[in-house]
Formats: sequence, structure tokens, C-alpha cells
Amino acid sequence: MTNGEHIREEELELLAAGALTDDEAAALQAHASGCEECALKLAQSRGDVALLTFATKQERPAGTVKAEFMARIRASREREEHFAWPLRRRTSNASEAAEYVTGDKTVNWLNWVLVPAAVALAVVSLALSWQNRRVSQALEKQRHATQALLNEREETNKLVGLLAAGDTITVKLAPAAETVGSGVVKYNGRMGMVVYSAQLPAPPAGKSYQMWLVRANGAPINAGVMEKGAHAIGPVWMAEVPANAEAKAFAVTLEPAGGVPQPTGPKVLIGAS
Amino acid sequence: MATAGTSGEARSDWSLLARIAQKDEEALSALYDRYSGLVFSTAKRILHRTGEAEEILQDVFYQIWETAERFDPERGSLAGWLLVAARNRAISKLRGKREWAGELDENGVTLSVEIESRAAQNLLLDRVRGVMENLPEGQREALECAYFEGMSHTEIAQKTGQPLGTVKTRIRSALERLKKVLG
Repeated sequence: MTNGEHIREEELELLAAGALTDDEAAALQAHASGCEECALKLAQSRGDVALLTFATKQERPAGTVKAEFMARIRASREREEHFAWPLRRRTSNASEAAEYVTGDKTVNWLNWVLVPAAVALAVVSLALSWQNRRVSQALEKQRHATQALLNEREETNKLVGLLAAGDTITVKLAPAAETVGSGVVKYNGRMGMVVYSAQLPAPPAGKSYQMWLVRANGAPINAGVMEKGAHAIGPVWMAEVPANAEAKAFAVTLEPAGGVPQPTGPKVLIGAS
Repeated sequence: MATAGTSGEARSDWSLLARIAQKDEEALSALYDRYSGLVFSTAKRILHRTGEAEEILQDVFYQIWETAERFDPERGSLAGWLLVAARNRAISKLRGKREWAGELDENGVTLSVEIESRAAQNLLLDRVRGVMENLPEGQREALECAYFEGMSHTEIAQKTGQPLGTVKTRIRSALERLKKVLG
């Protein structure tokens, strides 16, 4: 792993680029966290690689996102201030009471008032804390639900766009070898999108059906695993693939559950484009 | 009228961060305006979904708000950290990996160029795109698979059908080219 004491330059670069496996990356990071020299070099490599961001298509987030974010910040501040207030008041009261009692023993009776009051305040504070936590959880749940709806709307819009596009092609899938089933694929190379559905028997335990875009040249492109909830809208799956890939055919193979980077299992359905 | 030290890009990242640590919402807003486009574009490039990219954007800036006092200028660049945090979170989401908790303390990021101003960002857009467009196809593909798809060298080798050594060499050569141009 290391050259003597330090991580080799090429490993640092691969780590910064995100090209190492999780185990390899964890081992090198563990070393860097205790080695100032490697940590500095890693920080520099990370910075160089981070500039790849500038090779991406630059988009500004919608103005509503900032408004939502700042509202979230304000809500978080209000929550903090809400809980800080009774704490400050309680501390102040206790201090004042202490001075009062020390200065004049005739007012010890005040303890009988202040102690229950402090206990009551603590109980109220706990109740408010509990209530606030519930409200926060509900808000968080709502935020996730809203996000899910937005994602679903975005997927639906993409699907409608693909179906309406004049340059979308349709490929019918027929059974391969001794299998049964059928399917249909809608593909738009310009948009880099594939939408498909298939009638197939349930896959064996531990297996999944996986769709592939078979190119005229080069390795097949993964177009998604046909599992429930995996980029699916009802019985229809949708996948983004590199734009303008020359699709020679589409094929469904039987693979280990969760899918694989390249096809390894038998073809189940196939159709030429 | 804007006064000295409070106007737009004249404020450095670190002066904004110091104010954010004091819970100054205006400073957070200014930092967001400066880098939200880059953070959002990074996440969108990886996730291809606007909603999820917006979620990453908010999470990254929320972490700044919550933990601004823990950033150490000596450990690197705030802008660099933002870009790496956006990339790492997006990759985690894409590949269903663990959250990158603790990266703030562990992972310094040093940028060799200044990107605080809009002008500097525009200049870099041209330079980095120029490098990427002129890379040999195999190098560009290997680097993009690693950085924007979170694929390990082994996975890239499987995908491209190239030997592992070739994949590593391609990624390193591409990075060398990038460094040369930016240096």
C-alpha cells in the first residue's frame, strides 16, 4: 500500500478520483488521518479532482430552493432560541434567589415557592421539548414525502416527454431460447432515455431481470434492474443511458438480484432496433 | 449602498464563514449565492434528478450552518470542501452507500486556483472543459466513471473490458493533464 512510510502518489490520485474500492479507500484514509504529509498531498489531489465540477453543465437551482432552505434555517434558529430562553431565565432566577436568601435569612420561606416553581418550569420545558421533537419529526416526514412527490412528477414528465417525442423508437422484445414472455421498449437516443415494460414469470429467488442496451460497438449499457421500486412507475421502468448510444438491440437477461455491471446470465428477451 | 467588507464577492469565504459561525443568515445567503450553482450542478451531474440534487444542495449548506465553527482555514479551501462534499453525498445516494459523516474533520481539500469570484469560475469552466474535450476517449471515460459515477477501478475495467492496469493509467494520465493545465 505504501512506499515506506507514505502513500504512493498514484494511490493518492486514485483515492482522490474516487476510483478505489471502499476497503482500499478506507485503509489509505486511515493512514492519511494520522500522517500530516499524506493528508496534505491528499487534500491537494482532492482539490485538483474537485475542479472536474467545472466540466459539468452548469445549472442554477430554482429560486424556491433557496427560499425553502432559508426558511429551514430560520425554523432551526427559532427552535434553538425557544429552548435557550427558559434555560437562561431559570439560571437567572436561581442566582437571584441565592443572593436573596444569603442576604436575609428571614426570607427562607421563598424556597418553598421557588423550588416548586423551578420544578414546574422544568416539567413544562420537558413537555415543550417532547412536543417540539414530535413537530420536527412530522415536518421532516412531510419534507421527505414532498420530495418523493417531486421526484415522481419529474419522472412522469420525462416519461411523457419521451413518449411524445417524434424521434422515439419502439422495439418489441421476443422470448430468447426456451423462455416465455414479451416486452416493449421505447428508446430515444437524443434524450438518452429508455422506457420499458415486460411480461415475464417471477424470477427465481436471488435473481433479477436486467435490461441492456446492446450497442453496435462496445460493451452493452446497463438500462436498469426490473425490480419493484427501482426507477419504476407502476409496471413501467425508466432508465437514463448515455445520449446518442447506437442501439443495435435491447435484451433482458437473468442476473443476480440487484443487477451486475455487465451481463453474465442467460438472455430472456431480445429485440433488434 | 453596500459598505466595505459587506458587498457581494468582496467578502472572502472565510469572513463569511466566521459570520455564519455567529449565526448570520445574510452571510449564509451570500455563500449560498456564490456556490449553490456549482454544488447543485455537481449533484445533478451525478444523480440526474433535480429533486435529489436540490436535497444534496440543501444538506451541504445546512451542514455549513450547523458546524461553521469547526472549519479550519489551515486544513484547506471551503469552496473545495463544498465541491467534494456535494460529490461524495451524491455518490453515496447514487450507490446506496453510507453517509459521509465526519468528512468535515477528516478530509481537507486544497484548491490550486481561486474560485470565489464569478469571473474566476467562468474562466475555469472554459479551461476544464477544454481539458476534458481534448482527452483521449478512454481517459475521459475512465475519469468520469470514477468521479461522477463512483465506480472503482475494478468496476471500470469490467465495464470497459480493459485491463485493470490500463484503467488506472488512464485515470492518472487524465488527472496529470488536468493538473498541468490548471497549474
